[in-house]
Amino acid sequence: MRKKWTKILLSSLLFFLFIFPVLFLFFKSITFGWNWPDILPHTLNLRAWTVIFNDPLIYRSLFTTVFIGVVVVILNYLIALPAAYALSHGNPRGKTLIETILLLPILVPVLAIAMGLHLVMIRLGIADNTAGVILIHLLPTLPYAVRVLKAGFDRISPDWVKQSRTIGTSQAAAFFIVLLPMMLPSIRSAGILVFVISLSQYVLTAIIGGGQVTTLPLLYYPFFNSANEAVVAGFSVLFAALPILFLILMESSIYLYKQWLHRL
Amino acid sequence: MFSSARSFLLLAPLLLFMILFVGQGLYRAFSESLHAGDNFLENYEQLFTQGTFWSSLQISVYVAFVSTLLSLIIGLWITRTLFRLFRTDQWKLAAWFPMLIPHFVAAYIIVLFFSPSGWFSAVLESLPLAGTFPVLVNDPLYLGVIITYIWKEVPFVVLMLLPVYQEIDWRMEEVGRSLGAKGFTLFRTVEWPWAGPVTAEVFLILFVFILGAFEVPALLGVTYPAMVPVLAFEWFYQGGWSNRPLAQAMMIVLTFFSVLLSFCLLYAVQRSRRKWMKGGKSNA
Repeated sequence: MRKKWTKILLSSLLFFLFIFPVLFLFFKSITFGWNWPDILPHTLNLRAWTVIFNDPLIYRSLFTTVFIGVVVVILNYLIALPAAYALSHGNPRGKTLIETILLLPILVPVLAIAMGLHLVMIRLGIADNTAGVILIHLLPTLPYAVRVLKAGFDRISPDWVKQSRTIGTSQAAAFFIVLLPMMLPSIRSAGILVFVISLSQYVLTAIIGGGQVTTLPLLYYPFFNSANEAVVAGFSVLFAALPILFLILMESSIYLYKQWLHRL
Repeated sequence: MFSSARSFLLLAPLLLFMILFVGQGLYRAFSESLHAGDNFLENYEQLFTQGTFWSSLQISVYVAFVSTLLSLIIGLWITRTLFRLFRTDQWKLAAWFPMLIPHFVAAYIIVLFFSPSGWFSAVLESLPLAGTFPVLVNDPLYLGVIITYIWKEVPFVVLMLLPVYQEIDWRMEEVGRSLGAKGFTLFRTVEWPWAGPVTAEVFLILFVFILGAFEVPALLGVTYPAMVPVLAFEWFYQGGWSNRPLAQAMMIVLTFFSVLLSFCLLYAVQRSRRKWMKGGKSNA
């Protein structure tokens, strides 16, 4: 009995600690002049959202941010899926060494790497533009993508692929029809994780983008200390809403893929 | 299982990226941190004689250590208490929600609640108790930064520990109990052999990440002492790039420190794991 109450207590604590603050952010964004020492707002007002959606700079950087995020996710799949597959079902020589090397971007400050790459990327002409920012966002995302996808492959027995090969499917078909459907949960979590990490980058974008590539975080920092708390709160809610938008995008492509599978 | 050659073909794009970006980036950062003249370590000597650097390093290690330790303790406690509940998805969602929020937005949430003109301060003001709300944001003790990191990283700790706790053979607990173990002994002998290595790994990931992260301390920190990444970013652009070698040298020192720590910790985990597999005196 005591255990049950602890659980209920802890679960409501969890809600207040982790979900309530974000809801609070949302409430803050639809009020006006809710300042210290008012505990509750006087009026609800959509003024902050009008400010946000009338700012052409925010509009444009919203597009840039989502574009960069989606391309980073796609590149992550292209690079990490084969690598995770090889690490899980294959047997490369020096596997432990490779896995340690893959951990490097996690175990080393990415800022050091980005600072070292700055001059090279300027010389190659990939600094100060979107391409460079996309490439540098691979740095903090790839180790996590490989990790999540490898854990996914580890749960699938290699026998599945062997079986499909014995009945004569090609390698590509075995991948798309047998492996990929089983990998969907991992692919989904890797995608959302990578998108959120890309969305959270400020300093890498600032250095390699050179102020020329304005993603949302680059606009957010100057906003941070602004007096209009409702606008900053609304801007913050935007960041929480983008992963949800991405999830919808992702779910619809998974739906299309499943439709395609059924038609085979 | 397929051949080593085919594995390398599949790994090639990733390894190429690692060499071109991580390898080259570290190499260039190191070579740019060296002095062109006779004494090639001059930048490092200059760095080590600066009080600014030492106070930055001190505050960085302190913030990273305290945030990581508290996140781990709270995360471990939540996982232990709730792991049976977490079988269903809606509970997982509740605990993992902060993972969807970028660090700088989390920093703003902390400002809304904990700043002197924040919500908690307003609540305290309305209560009949006397007393002013303490300064927790942009404070020299970096409490706002630490609170932000705890809020963000506890879900990560839970995410990493949950699979471990769901796989522990809980019959071992009954064995331990019937042998007369209780409390901490039970925890150490039943849970820790599984949870320990993952805890060490999470400690490493979080500690190194917080040590090298710019986003939160740039918003909630103070100018002096600034955390190392904030100071490095400032030096990187200062005086027409003339302080760049110094910034690079500082980040190289931080990198060296991180790698050294990783090696020690991973080695210790390996050793204790081997000891545990063999049995013997260590856990008797």
